Amino acid sequence: MTPSNSSPAGTPGTGKVMIRLENLSKRFPGQKTDAVSNLSLDIYEGEIVVLVGPSGCGKTTTMKMINRIVEPTSGRIILDGDDVTTTDPDALRRRIGYVIQQVGLFPHQTIGENVATVPKLLGWDKARVAARVDELLTMVNMAPETFRDRYPKQLSGGQRQRVGVARALGANPDVMLMDEPFGAIDPITRDRLQNEFLRLQREVRKTIVFVTHDIDEALKMGDRIAILQGPSQIAQYDTPEQILTAPASDFVSDFIGRGASLKRLDLSHVSDITLTQWPTVRVGADNAELLDVLRRSDKGAVLVLDDAGRPRRWVAPDDLDRHPGSPLDQIGLVPEAVVEPHATLSDALNELITARFSVSIVVDAHGVYQGVVDIDQITDAIRSMRAAAVARARARFTEDPAGTPVIGS
Amino acid sequence: MDFVEFLINRGDDMLELGLEHAAVVGASVLLATIIGVGLGVASYRQPRSREAILAVTGAFLTIPSFALFILLIGPLGLGFLPVVVALTLYGLLPIVRNTITGLREVDPAIVEAALGMGMSRGQVLRQIELPLAWPVIITGVRVTTLVLLGIAAIGSIVLGPGYGDLIFTGLARVGTPVAVNLVLAGTLGVVVLAVLFDVLFYVIRKLTTSEGIR
Ligand SMILES: Nc1ncnc2c1ncn2[C@@H]1O[C@H](COP(=O)(O)OP(=O)(O)OP(=O)(O)O)[C@@H](O)[C@H]1O
Ligand SMILES: [Mg+2]
Repeated sequence: MTPSNSSPAGTPGTGKVMIRLENLSKRFPGQKTDAVSNLSLDIYEGEIVVLVGPSGCGKTTTMKMINRIVEPTSGRIILDGDDVTTTDPDALRRRIGYVIQQVGLFPHQTIGENVATVPKLLGWDKARVAARVDELLTMVNMAPETFRDRYPKQLSGGQRQRVGVARALGANPDVMLMDEPFGAIDPITRDRLQNEFLRLQREVRKTIVFVTHDIDEALKMGDRIAILQGPSQIAQYDTPEQILTAPASDFVSDFIGRGASLKRLDLSHVSDITLTQWPTVRVGADNAELLDVLRRSDKGAVLVLDDAGRPRRWVAPDDLDRHPGSPLDQIGLVPEAVVEPHATLSDALNELITARFSVSIVVDAHGVYQGVVDIDQITDAIRSMRAAAVARARARFTEDPAGTPVIGS
Repeated sequence: MDFVEFLINRGDDMLELGLEHAAVVGASVLLATIIGVGLGVASYRQPRSREAILAVTGAFLTIPSFALFILLIGPLGLGFLPVVVALTLYGLLPIVRNTITGLREVDPAIVEAALGMGMSRGQVLRQIELPLAWPVIITGVRVTTLVLLGIAAIGSIVLGPGYGDLIFTGLARVGTPVAVNLVLAGTLGVVVLAVLFDVLFYVIRKLTTSEGIR
C-alpha cells in the first residue's frame, strides 16, 4: 500500500514517518457517502504538510481524525510508531498542538491562562508554567508583560491568532495540527504571520499538518503538499516544486491555476542560479578606461562601483559626452533594480522587467556587487527546473507504476 | 393608627419575619439552583431529555400555589418544610432554562479547542462551559428569587414562615382599621427583601463573572 521509495530528500525533515494514516475513512452519521474514504498518507518528522483542495473535499475531517476530534469510521492512525486509533483520546491530544480556524481562545481566561492550558493539564508546577507562558508569548512576538494579563477581547485578530499558536505549542508537542490558522485576517497581516510562523518553525522543527484552501498559502508554507480531490483521492502528494513543475493531473494543473511557472519562481532564489557578469569600473576610473571596458563587452553601458564595490551608476558613452569632466558617480543613471541573493527569482524578474538594461543587479548583504540576473537566466532556470521535475516524476513512475509514491489506496 | 407608627411599633416583628422570609426563600433558591443546574447540565446536549425536563419544570409553574401548599400538607405536614419543597419546585424552571440556554450558547469552536487540547468532558464543563454560561445561569437564579419571594408569602396558609403571616392576619381582619396596615406592611416587607436580594445578586454576579466576558 505504502511504497518505501518515498524518501523525503530535499526537504528539512529527518525522513522518519511521524504520522501514518492508513486507509482512514469517515462517514458522518446519517450521511450516504464517506466524507473521507480510504485515505493513506505518510507525514515526515519536522515537515509542514499542507492539505489543500476545494471546499468540502475532506481536509478538515482528515486533520481532525489525527487527534480524533472526529473518530474515524475505519482505518488506523499511527503516531510516532504507536497505534493511537483507540487509545485514550485526551492523552493523545495533549501530545498534539491544535490550532483551529476560529482560534477559539477561552474568553473568560487571560492570555496567560489560555497559553498555560496544556502545561496545567499535564500538572506542571506553578513556576514552571509561568516561565513557559512567558517563553511562548515571547516566541510569538507578544511581550509577556504587556499581554499576559489581558483578555482575548482586548486583542486584535492577528494577536489572537498568535496566542492561538502559542497555546498550541504549550507543552512543546512534536506534532501540530493547524486548520486555516491564518484564514480570517487581512492579506498584509496574514503574510506577516506566515513569515513569523515559518521563522518559528525553523527553530522548533515540529511536524505540522496545515489545512488551507488557498494554493498560494500551501505553496508558501508547505514542505510537502497533499492536494485532495474529493473524499477518496489524493490528486498529488509532493513538494511544492514538483507540484508546480510536474502536476500529476489536469485536476492539479487546474487547481494550481494559471501562472504555475511564475509561482515556481517564488520557490527559487537568486542564490540558486549562476550570475552573469556586467562590465564594471571603479569610481576613480578615467574615460579611456571606461570606454575600453565597454568596447571589450557587447553592452551599452558600464556599471560604476564605489570604492567599497557597491553599485553607484550606469554610465554610457553619451553620458561622458554630455558631462565632460564630471566624476563618474555623478553622471548617468542611478541603478534601481538591486536584489540580494536570498530574493526569489520572482522578485528578480519583477525588478528586471522595468530596469534600464533589463537586468537585476545582485549585491550581498553589505551592498557589494556580485553580478546580474537577466531574463535568459530566468527562462533557463524555469526550463531546467521543469526538466528535473519531469525526470523525477518519471523515475518514480517507473519504480512504482501504480501511482504517485507515498499514497496508497 | 398611622402606618408609619404601626411599622415602628411592629419593628421587631418586621425584622424577625423578614429574616424568616429570607431564610425560607434562600433555602429554596439554593436547592432549586443545585437541582436546576444539575438537570440543565445533564440534559443540555440531548434534545429529547432537554425538552422533557423543560416541559416538566414548566408544568410545576402552572399548579396554583394555593393548591400545591395544601396538597403538600398530607405528606409533609405544616410549617417550613412544605413551603421549601413547593418553592423549590416553582423555582426550577428559570434556572434549568437559563442553564441550558447558557451552556448551549457557548461557542462550539471554544469547546472544540478545549477538547483538542486534551481536556476531558468534565474539565471542559467545569473550566470552560460553566464559567462561560455563568452570567446567564445567575440571571435565572435571580428571576427565581424574585418569583419565590412573592409565592413564599402564600406559604403562610400552611403556617410557613415570613411576611405572609402579616398578610393573612390582615385578611382575617378585613374591615378593622389594622387590616390594611397589616397587608401593607407584609407587602412592603416583601418588596424591601426583593430589592435587597437584587443588590446581592448584582454583587455576586459582578464578583463571580470573569472580566473577560463582562
Ligand atoms: N459533522 C458533520 N456531519 C455531517 N457531515 C459533515 C460533518 N462535517 C463535515 N461533513 C461533510 O464532510 C465533507 C468534508 O467536510 P470537511 O469539513 O472535511 O471539508 P473541508 O475540505 O475542510 O472544506 P472547507 O474548505 O470548506 O473547510 C463535506 O461534504 C461536509 O459536508
Ligand atoms: Mg475545513
